[in-house]
Amino acid sequence: MSEALFSEDEVKTEIIRVMKTLYDRGLVSALGGNVSARLPGSKEVWITPSGVFKGDLHSEDLIKIDLEGNILEGYLRPSVEWPLHIAIYKKRPDVNAVIHAHNPITTGLALAGIELKPITVEAVVTLRRVPIVPFAYPGTDELAKLVADHIEGVRALVLQNHGVVAVGYNLVEAEAVVETLEEVALTQLVAILTSGKKELPLIPEKDRELITRLYGLK
Amino acid sequence: MKEWFAYAGKLLRINLSKEKFSIEELNEEDIRAFLGGIGLATKIIFEEVDPRIDPFDENNKLVFMTGALTGTPIPGASRSIVAAKSPLTLAWGEAHFGGFWGPELKKAGYDGIIIEGQAKTPVYIFINNDNIEIRDAGKLWGLTTRETEEAIRKEVNDEKVRIACIGPAGENLVRFAAILSDERVAGRTGMGAVMGSKNLKAIAVRGTNTIKIKNLQLLRRNIARLYPMIMSYPPNQILASYGTNGEMLSFYEYGDVPIKNFTKGTWDGIHKIEGRKIIGNYLKEHKACFACPVGCWKVVKISSGKYAGVEGRAPEYETAASLGALLLNDDPESLIYLERLCNDYGIDTISVGVTIAWAIESYERGLISKEDTNGIELRWGDPELIIRLIEMIAKKEGFGAILGEGCRLASSIIGKGTEKYAMHVKGLEVPMHDPRAFKGMGLQYATSNRGACHLQGTFFRIEQGERIPDLKIYRRVYRFETKDKGWMVAVMEDWHEVLESLGLCKFVQIYPGHVAGFYSLASGIVKRVMDLQRDGERIFNLKRIFNVLAGIVKEDDTLPERFLKEPLEDGGAKGQIVELKVMLKEYYEYRGWNERGIPTKEKLEELGIYELVKRKCDELGVELY
Repeated sequence: MSEALFSEDEVKTEIIRVMKTLYDRGLVSALGGNVSARLPGSKEVWITPSGVFKGDLHSEDLIKIDLEGNILEGYLRPSVEWPLHIAIYKKRPDVNAVIHAHNPITTGLALAGIELKPITVEAVVTLRRVPIVPFAYPGTDELAKLVADHIEGVRALVLQNHGVVAVGYNLVEAEAVVETLEEVALTQLVAILTSGKKELPLIPEKDRELITRLYGLK
Repeated sequence: MKEWFAYAGKLLRINLSKEKFSIEELNEEDIRAFLGGIGLATKIIFEEVDPRIDPFDENNKLVFMTGALTGTPIPGASRSIVAAKSPLTLAWGEAHFGGFWGPELKKAGYDGIIIEGQAKTPVYIFINNDNIEIRDAGKLWGLTTRETEEAIRKEVNDEKVRIACIGPAGENLVRFAAILSDERVAGRTGMGAVMGSKNLKAIAVRGTNTIKIKNLQLLRRNIARLYPMIMSYPPNQILASYGTNGEMLSFYEYGDVPIKNFTKGTWDGIHKIEGRKIIGNYLKEHKACFACPVGCWKVVKISSGKYAGVEGRAPEYETAASLGALLLNDDPESLIYLERLCNDYGIDTISVGVTIAWAIESYERGLISKEDTNGIELRWGDPELIIRLIEMIAKKEGFGAILGEGCRLASSIIGKGTEKYAMHVKGLEVPMHDPRAFKGMGLQYATSNRGACHLQGTFFRIEQGERIPDLKIYRRVYRFETKDKGWMVAVMEDWHEVLESLGLCKFVQIYPGHVAGFYSLASGIVKRVMDLQRDGERIFNLKRIFNVLAGIVKEDDTLPERFLKEPLEDGGAKGQIVELKVMLKEYYEYRGWNERGIPTKEKLEELGIYELVKRKCDELGVELY
């Protein structure tokens, strides 16, 4: 692992930067959404706090927890979604950053029963397969388990009636996935609304063959 | 003395006959032309080894080399190579491995090790920064690779020492013996047998220096910001969750997984042995090589039944196919055991599977009898038989001694037309991608310098739809077409020389443009993609000349007849054969090779290696043209 690439301070600074960007883009709201990250291979995770206004977080607001959820550093209450974050780190050692955001359009399309389609190259290359996780109440073990059951082999999940989860080797990657989800969802929504059709022209099969077969998409 | 960045700046030369070692400064000119890793090994072996030599002769040299970027924080920069004249192909030989050994060697202060001569009795080498020792390995001889690593760690009293070693197969000169380090395998072309012929059991390394980086700050920044791109390489999430065998079902859809010695296109057993199933049922832990963000290395454990307690690296795709589908063995637990067994003995799982498949098919056709096999009945789908044969091969017992020669030599010993069922190119057994499913792979197998090699270009990715604009591969090429495959395969082969020279893993996959940037920032030697690509071409052509001098002729650039004439009756590649000739013609033209398959004088001059080649030919008293 590339521990040499990161320091804990950099991880914390990155969490703050990403929360601010997501807030400014309307992908997390005043009280919704949370972010965590760790040094590659570490069994300790930095996570955003619960119940604190998300648009103005600072390094000292972050909480460090272990993979059992015990608080190691920090003075605030960790995000109630910590079991979801931990469940992902346990299942995916290649993941060092988890973002749970409330992407309104992605979540809205899922509510309407519409899956994201391979309508742009980013949808194909960056997102690939995005499973929809059935509703479970936020912050519960049940939700954590459902997320763990769906996270193998993917970069993003949609949580029904709730939001999205994106993962990455570092925060930049997870952030790119969250933004791409919303970009693709918005494009799809515009196309559906303006054309009145749910069936849209897709990236041709020949240009997405590798990913289609690898990720079992049809 | 020059200050080196990314490189350690030194080579270690050890003569086992004389029990002496020396340290050499890296030659800057060589680095600019050959980069490091496989490129530098090619230059050294070309200059110092007679290509006509018996590979087990003490004058053959075994070169271990780290890549230029090995040990830096660049994703996938874990790789090392080992090269020599191959006892399996009797031509250019090389194998590659990840893990931690290479970074450790560089931290000890060396970019590579040149092993010369032959020790009188078994030895191992212990490198502890500046301290180099040739130690007695009498007690280690006969141990498995796992036992050897444990014993050396205990003897030198250091858990952090990294060890590359051979098992009994290498000691017994099995021609496809491998070298192992932390379960990572330098498998192909019998480099373990060359090591065994030198009575060298292991090279243990401990290094505590820091590898200097020219512009660390910008390199770190660029790596961190490029993760979204690097991790977008299509198979990454599959590899991270299930390892290489996670791709088996996708390959199967293409008709790419070889079944029953490449004679069938469909087989239900595939669903029992594919990676998602095996990882789902037996995963113990995930591991990753040095600097790897993906972590395709899975450890599995069997908790009950006949193989209860067996634990080790999960079967890679190549193993699951070669000891599974190829032999109609659908028992996943036996595959976990077989991966363990081959790693313990130090055997290349591809070559052993293909050689056993040759034997079973020949037996089924009545060309091999029980008289040949020491009374053993050979049949498909029998894990116990596979285990027994592998043990006989490693120990060179009876029929196992013949199988241990590899399928080309074994089929020429048995004769009776069995040569037709020996699936190899230039003596190297064909890996687990059927070229009738990806025809460019057929051309790659036919032209790769080490024989049938799936990694010298991984061209199936291009045929699955990957484009590489940085290398001017813009067009979506289809797997069954032949147009443009000639030049594209050559381009990919050259690029893979670059990756093997820089020490980057092919499963992490960084775009060439980013690779060039990383190399420049890490080493301080500024190179653009096309500079690197030209270096790759130089390396590839120099190996080709080595092969020509070793006796390889144009007619060796071919495929087993089965791929050229026998279409499969079912599956994703149904009805296809490889139209090799037409692709080969385009390939030769692009390469600037003459009608005999030899790089022309003009091409060698263009690549700046004509003088080097001429010196060699003069020394050997050979005329190339």
